[in-house]
Amino acid sequence: MTATHTRTSAGGRRGRQRPTAHPPRHGRGRSARRLGHLAHFGLFGLPSLALYACIVLIPIGISVYYSLTNRNPFNPPTQWVGARNYQNLATDPDFWKVLTNTIVITIFVTAASNVIGLAIAVLLDRRGWLYNALRGVFFTPVVLSGVVVSVIWQAILTDDGLLNSTLRGLGISDPPGWLSDPDLALYTLSWIVTWQMAGFCVVVYLAGLQGVPHELYEAAAMDGAGPVARFRSVTWPLLAPSVTINTVMLLISTFKIYDQVQVITNGGPGDGTTSTIAFDVIQTGLVGNRIGVSSAIAVVMLVFVAIVSTVVLQLLQRREVKA
Amino acid sequence: MNRRRLLAASGAAMVMALAGCTAGSKPATSSAGGEVELSFLTFETPNLNAAYWDAAIARASAKVPGVKIKKLVSPIVDRTAYVKQLDASGQMPDIMPAITVAGFAQAGKLADFTQEELTQFVWPESNAVGGKIYQLPYNTQTIPMVYYNKSLFAKAGITTEPKTYADFLEVCAKLKAKGINPIVLGGGGKDTWADMYPLTATVATDVYKNNPAWLADRTAGQTTFADPAFVKAVEKVSALAKDGYIDPAGLSRSYPDTEKAFRDAKGAMYPMGSWFPAAADSKQPGFEIGVFPWPTEDGSLVVPAFTGGGLSVSAKAADVSRAKKWALAFQTDKTNLDAIVKGDGAIIAIKGYQPPADMGPVYQATVAVYDKALHSGTVTTAFSQENGDAALPPGLADKAALGVQDLITGKKTAAQFAAFLDKEWAKAQ
Amino acid sequence: MTRHTGSRLRPLVATFVSAVFFLPLYLVLTNVFKPGHKIIDAPAALPLPPTLDSIRQVLTRPDHLFWYGLINSIEVTAISITILTVLSAMCGHYLARSEGLGAKVMLVVMLAGLMIPPAVIIAPITEVLRSVGLMTSVAGLVLVNVGYYVPFGVFVFAGFVKTIPIEIEQAAAIDGARRLRIFWQVVFPLLRPASASVLIFLGVWIWNDFLNPLIILGPAEGTTVTVGIYRAIGEHQQDYGAVFALMFLATLPILVFYLAFQKHFVKGLTAGASKG
Repeated sequence: MTATHTRTSAGGRRGRQRPTAHPPRHGRGRSARRLGHLAHFGLFGLPSLALYACIVLIPIGISVYYSLTNRNPFNPPTQWVGARNYQNLATDPDFWKVLTNTIVITIFVTAASNVIGLAIAVLLDRRGWLYNALRGVFFTPVVLSGVVVSVIWQAILTDDGLLNSTLRGLGISDPPGWLSDPDLALYTLSWIVTWQMAGFCVVVYLAGLQGVPHELYEAAAMDGAGPVARFRSVTWPLLAPSVTINTVMLLISTFKIYDQVQVITNGGPGDGTTSTIAFDVIQTGLVGNRIGVSSAIAVVMLVFVAIVSTVVLQLLQRREVKA
Repeated sequence: MNRRRLLAASGAAMVMALAGCTAGSKPATSSAGGEVELSFLTFETPNLNAAYWDAAIARASAKVPGVKIKKLVSPIVDRTAYVKQLDASGQMPDIMPAITVAGFAQAGKLADFTQEELTQFVWPESNAVGGKIYQLPYNTQTIPMVYYNKSLFAKAGITTEPKTYADFLEVCAKLKAKGINPIVLGGGGKDTWADMYPLTATVATDVYKNNPAWLADRTAGQTTFADPAFVKAVEKVSALAKDGYIDPAGLSRSYPDTEKAFRDAKGAMYPMGSWFPAAADSKQPGFEIGVFPWPTEDGSLVVPAFTGGGLSVSAKAADVSRAKKWALAFQTDKTNLDAIVKGDGAIIAIKGYQPPADMGPVYQATVAVYDKALHSGTVTTAFSQENGDAALPPGLADKAALGVQDLITGKKTAAQFAAFLDKEWAKAQ
Repeated sequence: MTRHTGSRLRPLVATFVSAVFFLPLYLVLTNVFKPGHKIIDAPAALPLPPTLDSIRQVLTRPDHLFWYGLINSIEVTAISITILTVLSAMCGHYLARSEGLGAKVMLVVMLAGLMIPPAVIIAPITEVLRSVGLMTSVAGLVLVNVGYYVPFGVFVFAGFVKTIPIEIEQAAAIDGARRLRIFWQVVFPLLRPASASVLIFLGVWIWNDFLNPLIILGPAEGTTVTVGIYRAIGEHQQDYGAVFALMFLATLPILVFYLAFQKHFVKGLTAGASKG
């Protein structure tokens, strides 16, 4: 159905594009323009905003309300506790650990996927069937669900898994406990997510690289610039939009990470070493029944998210001004 | 024109959506002739597959006229969490198997079974909440006993099963001296729970043996996990890890991987629940398996066990009394019980039931040890498996399993582990 | 290194790096075509001789788990992304063409929604759905998908619309009906790359979604293929052949979908970030 839809809209461009069908009118007053704006909002903006409000904003409102109570559906009655849940969180080292874990994973994955993605994109920036096929290899993990990725990597990384069996075969008698070492597991988890997301960066950077005009390289080469200097002076500045897109997409997908934690480490090994905010909310609310507390964690997360997305949007707009 | 086609397509899609068509859903039939439809939550494993559940449901329904069962399948391992989610979204099933009743019962979400309804059960008072029973106590699981690889024991020159804890440590030392990993343990990923068994055992031998009501005391606030007896039980586990008798790398093993590690002779002893014998007998490894109870200081017999695990009925079921009748019919059906004994090594706690005659040697040996403990009156509850009034608060069993990982990797001492449990207990209130 | 050796080395290095990257995927592929005991004994070996038993087993389950899941997944995904593309294209257009502070705030509020894990708000969402009688229905699930994912579509379309000269649509049109017509006939066809990105990403996310179908569709209303995978890796799972086969079959449709749209989608994403 969706394929038909896109095809017909393509046909529409050929058959019906009439850019001058409606000549501009002149002499409209301010109020008319205002009315036009309202109509534009009502027809174009409002439907999406209304649905978003029903599914995201109202539930957030409900969560904020719950966070000010001791709600526990298995331990009624629910009482108003004011800011107590928040005060408890502020002084709870476990909560800070969970927040730190989430930030570490997000930064790690965002940075690593960008670097690896760019390196691979530079490597694959050639034409031909081979490079097309290899591109497909890198993108495949992106379309896999979190649980599929988790099952695959767990089979590889457990201590009798394929990786360590191979390492032992190579004579390394005491290979690392990728998932069982509490100091390592968070980074192992981050690598797994990086593996899944790097392909996205590859595809976006490739598109960016292929958009760089060839003449620029030639000009730089004539100025005597080596490959590294050419990359720095020509490629990198023109890749800026790709960097932005990759960063936004990775922030979006990594900050809310849950599936991989649940399947691969269950928050362990040990007490909260790989627990993320989303995982903590579910554990506290669903397993522990403490809806009031879990709502407070969720609200803190929302505030955090709001700050990050404001910053991201500022970055985007500054770039727009420059461009 | 293209717009019209697009609209037509999305219009058709919307009609489908609004009609609520989903493939695989069975529309509820009207309850003609006094027939009532009840939903029944099941879970599928390789042994208990769809065909098993369908046949089992048909047998029970044949005994209770007027009940039509709508089968639901739980897609996640944690059934209790799933039932909570369904309850929170207004979809609580009418009949459901093996959930943690604590919480549901106090909140009035489950129907209780009267003692008259429970006359066929051997332990009709298991897991009572406020004196009432909310889950059919149809089977007992011993959690854990120690299953061991007889070939590896022979290789290390061990000829007798350890009786006292000192014997046990000697066995561990001998195995280790021969380069054999003494204890196989799991608990990776979503299967964190699998690392609890050594601690469940030491709490039984060192705490519950002397005070069977210890957890009730803890619930009443009369003691804490800092109780020296409890700390000593924890200390035993951390000492086993420190001496290299438990391999910390095992903490990344999923439950199936853990069983595989024991089958592949990657360790000599496997502390596990009584469901393991079913798998051990039906698919025998290349060595003989023996079993002994986790040894106590003085060599006396203590067996931690959990009795319960049956069906519960929602207090809001369409017809509570018929739902309870159906649950009882399902739970006491001989063919159903035989299947669960074969597939899950259940020790059935229903009067007059005899397991199939062809049960294998590991199952027989496990039941023999359990029967002996029953006669000597030294069956205790199994720490972290408790259900009912005296049970860990919701979520604490998961926290404890994570804490045990820290214990085994040496990140927490026994005293720190006890303090951690007390802290989490306070938070869970 | 001279240019010449570089061009000869590049295919080798690229192939090697890709092969290493591909290894985890190879593990799934090879085990789909192996009998169960070989998966456990030799997980990394080639499937020789290959067998279709696992695939056949999944396709011919007596309870039709895979087929029902497939139909439901296709239905939910197709309806959701169609509505999402239409709505978010329009909303993106509005935000791109408005200069007021209100529009800016709206974009920030929506962008924040993208980072909220659905799990965090699923319980209140079910309360909203129950109050309008849409729990346990495809319509309810579609509504949630649309409401939750619409910010992503808006984000992509808003960026892309800015690259289209405003003269084309003659923004002077006052009455809404004409504005709507111009949008669909003139502007929307030009947004094809953006539509492709939105369709692909939202298609992948909705297809792979586990929690929303699990809770909102509920156990009585059948299942999606992704929920089916969770069921297959459930308790004490030993039947790896069936798990890998199910993963393979469940991923295939969405992979094909991606390949069909891949030419356009990157342009749809990057255009928005490069032009003001």
